Amino acid sequence: MWKKLSIAVLAGTLALSLTACSSQESESASSSYPEKGITIVAPSGAGGGWDLTARAIAKTMNATKIIEEPIMVENKPGGGGIVYLADFATKEAANDYVLMVNSPPILINNDKAEGNSPFGYKDTKPLAQLTRDYGAIVVQADSEFQTLKDLLEAIKADPTKITLAGGSAPGSMDHLVGILPAYEYGIDPKSVKYVSYDGGGEAVAALLGNNADVIATDASTIAEYVKSGDVRVLAVSSAERLEGVLSDVPTFKDEGIDAEFTIWRGLFGPKDMSDDAVKFWSEKLDELVETDEWKAEIERNGWQSEYRNADDFTTYLEDQDTVIVELLTALGMQK
Amino acid sequence: MGTLDFLLNGFAVAFQWQNILFAFVGVVIGTAVGVLPGIGPMSGVALLIPITSTLTSGMPVEAAAASSIILLAGVYYGAMYGGSTTSILLNTPGESSSVVTTLDGYQMARQGRAGAALSIAAIGSFFAGIVSLIGLVLLAEPLSRVALKFGPAEYFALMLLGLCAVSGLAGKSMTKTLIMTVSGLLLATIGIDGVSGIARFTYDLPILYSGLEFLTIAVGLFALGEVFKTILERDKESGAIAKIDRIVPTKQDLKDSAVPIVRGSLLGFFIGVLPGAGATLASFFSYIAEKKFSKHPEKFGKGAIEGVAGPESANNAASGGALIPLLTLGIPGSGTTAILMGALIMYNVQPGPLLFNDHPEVAWGLIASMFIGNLMLLVLNMPLVKVFAKIIQTPKKYLLPIIVAISFFGVYAVQYTTFDLYLLLACGLLGYLLAKNDYPLAPLVLALVLGPMIENNMRRALTISNGDFSIFLTRPLSLTFIIIALAWLLIPLLMKFKGRTVVVNEED
Repeated sequence: MWKKLSIAVLAGTLALSLTACSSQESESASSSYPEKGITIVAPSGAGGGWDLTARAIAKTMNATKIIEEPIMVENKPGGGGIVYLADFATKEAANDYVLMVNSPPILINNDKAEGNSPFGYKDTKPLAQLTRDYGAIVVQADSEFQTLKDLLEAIKADPTKITLAGGSAPGSMDHLVGILPAYEYGIDPKSVKYVSYDGGGEAVAALLGNNADVIATDASTIAEYVKSGDVRVLAVSSAERLEGVLSDVPTFKDEGIDAEFTIWRGLFGPKDMSDDAVKFWSEKLDELVETDEWKAEIERNGWQSEYRNADDFTTYLEDQDTVIVELLTALGMQK
Repeated sequence: MGTLDFLLNGFAVAFQWQNILFAFVGVVIGTAVGVLPGIGPMSGVALLIPITSTLTSGMPVEAAAASSIILLAGVYYGAMYGGSTTSILLNTPGESSSVVTTLDGYQMARQGRAGAALSIAAIGSFFAGIVSLIGLVLLAEPLSRVALKFGPAEYFALMLLGLCAVSGLAGKSMTKTLIMTVSGLLLATIGIDGVSGIARFTYDLPILYSGLEFLTIAVGLFALGEVFKTILERDKESGAIAKIDRIVPTKQDLKDSAVPIVRGSLLGFFIGVLPGAGATLASFFSYIAEKKFSKHPEKFGKGAIEGVAGPESANNAASGGALIPLLTLGIPGSGTTAILMGALIMYNVQPGPLLFNDHPEVAWGLIASMFIGNLMLLVLNMPLVKVFAKIIQTPKKYLLPIIVAISFFGVYAVQYTTFDLYLLLACGLLGYLLAKNDYPLAPLVLALVLGPMIENNMRRALTISNGDFSIFLTRPLSLTFIIIALAWLLIPLLMKFKGRTVVVNEED
């Protein structure tokens, strides 16, 4: 009896592993796209903005039956997204069944001098921008810093005493969000100590454990810790105050800092994605953003809805790329 | 309500018929996932997420979340049970956390004690599972606070201790051990550096950006190395593997394993709690500790049952411990817990400081179901031992191709690249040559795991301290680890200096 059972078990896993293989094969798509499940990769660990966006897309597409084929989400952390982008731009360049979620780091990593990524948004096929989010400057609930000014004054007085942490590599998004107000306040951005962790989750852990004095992260992901009373958000990088849990939090501008930073998030296909697949996704995404399920998903995550289709998104990326290069140049960090 | 009430409510959830079924399906799949190399717990859990969401689609959200996380967690800890099987029988580690089990497990199998090794792995895993659950129930809150205190300096010191302890994995020559350790550290630097994002030793080859895959190297060195050895040295050895006398461990086996299992469980649990450390490290640390505490360290590597009991308990306990930062802080400590977190988020259940308040049904239901699941695993695994143990009696001419096939299949299923298959072959050849010349393989593999963690945490710590190395000495926990590490290195040398004979190594 046990023999039978073990054979059944082995057969089961074999079948499982076969699906694991086949989901990665690249096939030339015909108009019958998609013929099988699709994978959306979040090039980070679980729980961050990319991961949540990927999961929201996968879940809503399947739940509303807009796309019937199962959509899986995979996490591929490393180098603030650089590691997976290299794979995506080379190995997966013609694989219609693997998509990727990304945000400003795809531009920043390609434009910055240190730790430069040889690949950028031009090595992908932008499909759509879906949401907007903002950066947040966060301290522990019992921190001595009550306002952004307190913090900036302290950094100005002695930059070696304040440790800023974030979930992305130096020169990437969390770092930029963190040093942007410092730069506008007249502090040499290079003097600000920045410690990079592997994802926003680890950065929050560092803050809660007193291993960082302040962190820069996404406004949407920090809300949970604001509710539990563990942290205080000093400022957000939006033009106007946010709604929801963070409605009391001042913007950079409220604090007299002339700076803004928008974290757009979008979906990218591989560079040589077939026209059928691009068309398929453009139509399905158009449909997705109109559904109540998607709107509920956006609200629950604390994001703002902002939809740009493939063409608008590509134009937007070109503009944003110029903005990022200007910003990096001002900070002396451009390529 | 007190903890006990919550736990009882949790059992009420776990004992619902569908949840018992979900737990059972989870642990069965988990065992299979663990047995088969290539499908690790991470991909196993990831693959099942869409299936569980279909299965639970008709249920209310809260109940659906509880049921699916019960199934997925079953796969997670079930895989830790199964992971030892191929390590012991075929010298082919299925998961990185059972690499160290090959060292003594495979030797036991060759001596005809495969049954004892498999049984003790299952018993140890069960005990560890229960220990880590009790720890989870009683210590989740305080421990999550301690884990937070583990900053870069503490991680660095702990990893350094691990590296100093590699002497515990030494073969005949300490020099060769050190050569292998340094080689492992060097290989670990290949790829895009996680702290600065700068590519190192990649020669602009995108395939190298994510570094060398640990499992490819481990399977190549251990499994294929052994295959090459068996083929090339066919004439010297008769190749006859001792017949399996018995399936259940002897009284002596149980006596020898009792303390290692307890020690491995505790050690594994506490290492598991630390985000990022994980089951692999726990199993290595446990092995090293057992060898250090053993009255007959010379038996290690030659089929000591303690070398199976300790690490196998440790990796299971670590998987329980890793749930603490996940559930209480929302911080996943390993790849698999990250995927579990993703699954919870899918059901609108946000792991984190509010989980136990907002969703007690999910949190406590999961904990209670793990008690049941662990019991199922023990009942399931003991009879399977008999079936699996027969594998070793397969004639070599059939067994070797199977090992080769499993190794290639397993590596490809994880990496999907032909590059890794070439790497696997190269490592196999290297594994044979190194083992033939008495270069121990385990230190290289351990260094490969520790390398990035040591480096990243050291650099983070030094950034925080503005480049001042005293940060490692002024923080009490970090200082403690460094003192232990120094003692580990110096005490044997001092004793040798005083003219006592100690088994440091047999180098001449």
